[in-house]
Amino acid sequence: MLSLRKEPPLAPEVLEEAAEWLMRLSENDLSDHERAEWERWKISSPERDRAWARAQLLQSKLGGLPPSLAMSALDRPSHPERRAALGKLALMLAVMPVGWGSWKLAQTQQWTADYRTRVGERRELTLADGSRITLNTDSAIDVRYDRQQRLVHLREGEILVQTAQDPSRPFLVSTRQGRMQALGTRFTVRELSGRTHLAVLEGAVKVMLAENTQTAPLIVNAGQRTDFSAQTFGTLTATDRNVGAWTRGMLMADKMRLADFVAELTRYRRGFVRYDPAIADLRISGAFPISDPQRTLNMLVQTYPVLVSGHLNGYWVTLSPA
Amino acid sequence: MSEILTADKHQHLRAIEALYCGHHGWLYATLKRKLGNAMDAADLAQDTFTRILASQVTVIDQPRAYLSCVAKGILVNWYQRKALERAYLEALASVPIQEVPSPEAHFVVLETLHEIDAMLDALPSLVKRTFLLSQINGLKYQDIAEQLGVSLITVKRYMKQAFVQCLMLVE
Repeated sequence: MLSLRKEPPLAPEVLEEAAEWLMRLSENDLSDHERAEWERWKISSPERDRAWARAQLLQSKLGGLPPSLAMSALDRPSHPERRAALGKLALMLAVMPVGWGSWKLAQTQQWTADYRTRVGERRELTLADGSRITLNTDSAIDVRYDRQQRLVHLREGEILVQTAQDPSRPFLVSTRQGRMQALGTRFTVRELSGRTHLAVLEGAVKVMLAENTQTAPLIVNAGQRTDFSAQTFGTLTATDRNVGAWTRGMLMADKMRLADFVAELTRYRRGFVRYDPAIADLRISGAFPISDPQRTLNMLVQTYPVLVSGHLNGYWVTLSPA
Repeated sequence: MSEILTADKHQHLRAIEALYCGHHGWLYATLKRKLGNAMDAADLAQDTFTRILASQVTVIDQPRAYLSCVAKGILVNWYQRKALERAYLEALASVPIQEVPSPEAHFVVLETLHEIDAMLDALPSLVKRTFLLSQINGLKYQDIAEQLGVSLITVKRYMKQAFVQCLMLVE
């Protein structure tokens, strides 16, 4: 049983011609004139005829696939080794000042993530075991479940995790700074400028640092929060009531510096928000609908002595003292 | 003519027999260490010899180097297939019910996905993505250009590259 491959290979020009016809067909309906041209092309040589037989085979394979399933399966991240190399590169860039380089890398990384949200988007997922994950704005995760473990890698941004019970497989969340093992639980993880911020709402989470295995793992209990780099833990403090408010699209500010408030706001909208240094330390309090940045800005202006001016259709916003 | 073929065939089988007796245990142990899983290691060792059987090799100078080389190819393929299946199963959980294939169709869908995956593997990721957005999601070239932040000309170039690659490999 010799395979069909044994037929003589087709000349590259013929394959290119067939590719061009496939492109024309997939992009537009052909006019009668073009259709006649196409028919003539197909029968003008045995090679073209063979090339077109392959094109039809390809079309039938592609056409028989369920779109969203096929997209998820085919558009997954590339080989683990390649991904590991990319991860290392990201780590090197993470310690450099934030510039074009790391921004671009972050973008390409997001393209290949399993699940991602765009700026201003929020998304809830239920994983195969029933665990639930909410992705905040501009976030990306990979999900790797196997027989030994359930691993979620946070590439970017912020998530809320609500784990389902599975005594045989630990649930792990990894970031560039370390690994967190859920001990039956609900918690949020955010990666921000080279540090991971963890807040535990229910149960407890065990944290292991990525680059310092000498330090014993830290257990963070419900009602506690901490942050850590790849080498050291920050201090353990009590969570405020507003942890996870973002899952309802809210930002709860409690005497928050305007500078920090703006930093939060820019996570949810495209474009730039600048502020006059004179008002950087202005303290902001209140509940803001952060997933609606325009309304948030309006509320800010109504309550505080701040003026908002915009350029470029709001792409560039400046806050100044009123 | 046929006698020569038979002689070659005979030599081919003898070479493989020697390879199997001398090195199957070593290959299995190496794979097991690498994968941490005895069952997968046994399958992969078996696949490696099956592939060598299907070849026409008659003289094997450096058996372990040769085995490693063939096994590596199979392993890469296997990882890729595993990754594809995992992505597929994860996706199943989140697609609308009307898109979930019937149990009989699962196999066919997975096979086709694997074929397409293999055809697109050598392409740069942006080319692959362009092709998928067009052929799977049905987006127009202009929309793809906007989504990926590249020019329309670039999208067309990527599409042509991907189609030629697929036409070369489809069977």
